[in-house]
Amino acid sequence: MTWFLSLLACAGLFAFSSVSVGAAAEHDTAAPTVHTDASTATTNTPEGTSDHHEAAPPSLGQQFLYSYLTAYMFCLSIVMGCFFLVLIHHMFDAAWSVPIRRVTEQVACLIPVLGLLALPLLIFAPSVFPWMNIDPATDHALNVKKAWFNRPVWTVILALIFSLWTFMAFRFRSWSIAQDKDGAAIWTRKARVQAAWGIFVFAFTLTAVCFSLMKSLQYQFFSTMYGVYYFAGSVWTTLITMYVVTLWLSQPGRPLEKVIFYRQKHDLAVLFFGFTVFYAYIHFSQYFLIWNAAMPEETFWYVDRERGSWKWVGMLILFGHFIVPFVILLNQDIKHNLAVMLPIAVWAWLMHYVDMTFNVMPVLYPRGLHLTLLDPLCWFGMVVFLGGVFWKNYLKAAPYPLKDPRLLEAITHHEIPAASQPAAHR
Amino acid sequence: MNMEMTARPHSLLAEFQTPADVMAAAIQCRDAGFSKWDVYSPFPIHGMDQAMGVKKSQVGWFTFTGGFIGFFSGMTMIWWMNQYNYPLVVGGKPLFTPLYAFPVSYEMTILLSAFGTLFGLALLCGLPRFYNPLFRNKRFKKATDDTFFICIEAADPKFAQARTLLEKTAAKNVELVED
Repeated sequence: MTWFLSLLACAGLFAFSSVSVGAAAEHDTAAPTVHTDASTATTNTPEGTSDHHEAAPPSLGQQFLYSYLTAYMFCLSIVMGCFFLVLIHHMFDAAWSVPIRRVTEQVACLIPVLGLLALPLLIFAPSVFPWMNIDPATDHALNVKKAWFNRPVWTVILALIFSLWTFMAFRFRSWSIAQDKDGAAIWTRKARVQAAWGIFVFAFTLTAVCFSLMKSLQYQFFSTMYGVYYFAGSVWTTLITMYVVTLWLSQPGRPLEKVIFYRQKHDLAVLFFGFTVFYAYIHFSQYFLIWNAAMPEETFWYVDRERGSWKWVGMLILFGHFIVPFVILLNQDIKHNLAVMLPIAVWAWLMHYVDMTFNVMPVLYPRGLHLTLLDPLCWFGMVVFLGGVFWKNYLKAAPYPLKDPRLLEAITHHEIPAASQPAAHR
Repeated sequence: MNMEMTARPHSLLAEFQTPADVMAAAIQCRDAGFSKWDVYSPFPIHGMDQAMGVKKSQVGWFTFTGGFIGFFSGMTMIWWMNQYNYPLVVGGKPLFTPLYAFPVSYEMTILLSAFGTLFGLALLCGLPRFYNPLFRNKRFKKATDDTFFICIEAADPKFAQARTLLEKTAAKNVELVED
């Protein structure tokens, strides 16, 4: 039912968008867009004198596409984060994550759905990505990157990457489901081989996708760390999402009741804590290196994000994405205190959305944070839609890898053997 | 002069053959409310912490205190040197900002956290300690091989009940260790 409603909601959003986007496309051909102006101005004067531009409000279509892109990058984070959890599970021959692996496999199999959801961005790309409206001959920064940043190559690269991801994610899932029947070790072996080369593919392709879809909004920017930065935030959000999903699925009467123990929740929470620090480390490093080197072709990106209320959004990320969760999660026992962890989960989702907004929206609103109703609508529509597809797929197969060779170890290893205790005590 | 007359009891040492036996006995000791006692095993036994009723380690507080002091002393040190004691403009940057002081403060945090952990652990374990009467006990040498022990110290307020309790468990041998 939820699934049907979400489909309706998305269909409604698409119908709504196609009207306004049509208008936006016309607007684009008629005159250069607002943000194109803003970004060329930034190229010429990277120290940020583009304030004199009287920025006209963006059209509804453009607003939708930007809200859509922000929501899209948020959802891509969680899907690719789960894909990453499958990869490292196999790479490290992990035992603890066996009971939650089917969930991550099924989320990773949302990649083709995300590929379809990317179509509006690909079709109306010139309304989103300013560089598509600029002649590389007139812009040095674009000229040196035109091998990648031209519409055909850019589109083909994205299509190839999504196809490759789909291929890998589906293979992981089909091997895992095949093992449910016969319990043969060959399926684990196949997955491990794919994970070994897959982790390299993952690193390069995820970087390429977030360069294409998010970083290229300001094509003049340089940061080799940007891919890792997106990755760190993605896995951070994924881990707390998995914590909540695992918790929910392990309640009495739900599919994972008998296989999820203290240990899985503890490990997910500890990894989440680790990625809180890792994200801060990466984002600080990117900022610090750019600040220290003080080269205009890099600093402008942060100068743009210290203008107006964007400065406070940045502060919110510093304190809300790192310092507050870090200090709270220092305590070991709190990782099992649901009265703390559930609010943190909601907070982490909000912070990741803020982080995506911080990356995308300053292009459209250089003067400061500007929220519209389309932001939560796009976010909600996409999350509910993908959640619905996930749930439908999840119910089709076994809820966890039934015959994984490491399942027994995962659910018993650190538990007290009942036989060694007098009945009165346990 | 008789050494036997001056020797004071140090503890009661009970010997077990399997991890399951020693775990069951540990649960009984825990429930009887002993406070100065320990279990010795050649390898870690999962669940023994709960069986013994060992509370969460307090070492984390030493780590936290060390890290806290490290971070702020790093910041203060750099502020004092660059802004106050010897102001020098480098690369057009401000004399002091937490930004460039961060990497060093971060290292100081890690260093003093590690010191806090190491010395806090030693302090809580009562280390350094050069001698323990158990070292003289011949049977106890097997604690590093294939035997498990429970040792209840004479300093425990409930020591009088110790022998009765240990003899009721699966212990193969219960003996008095003298100081």
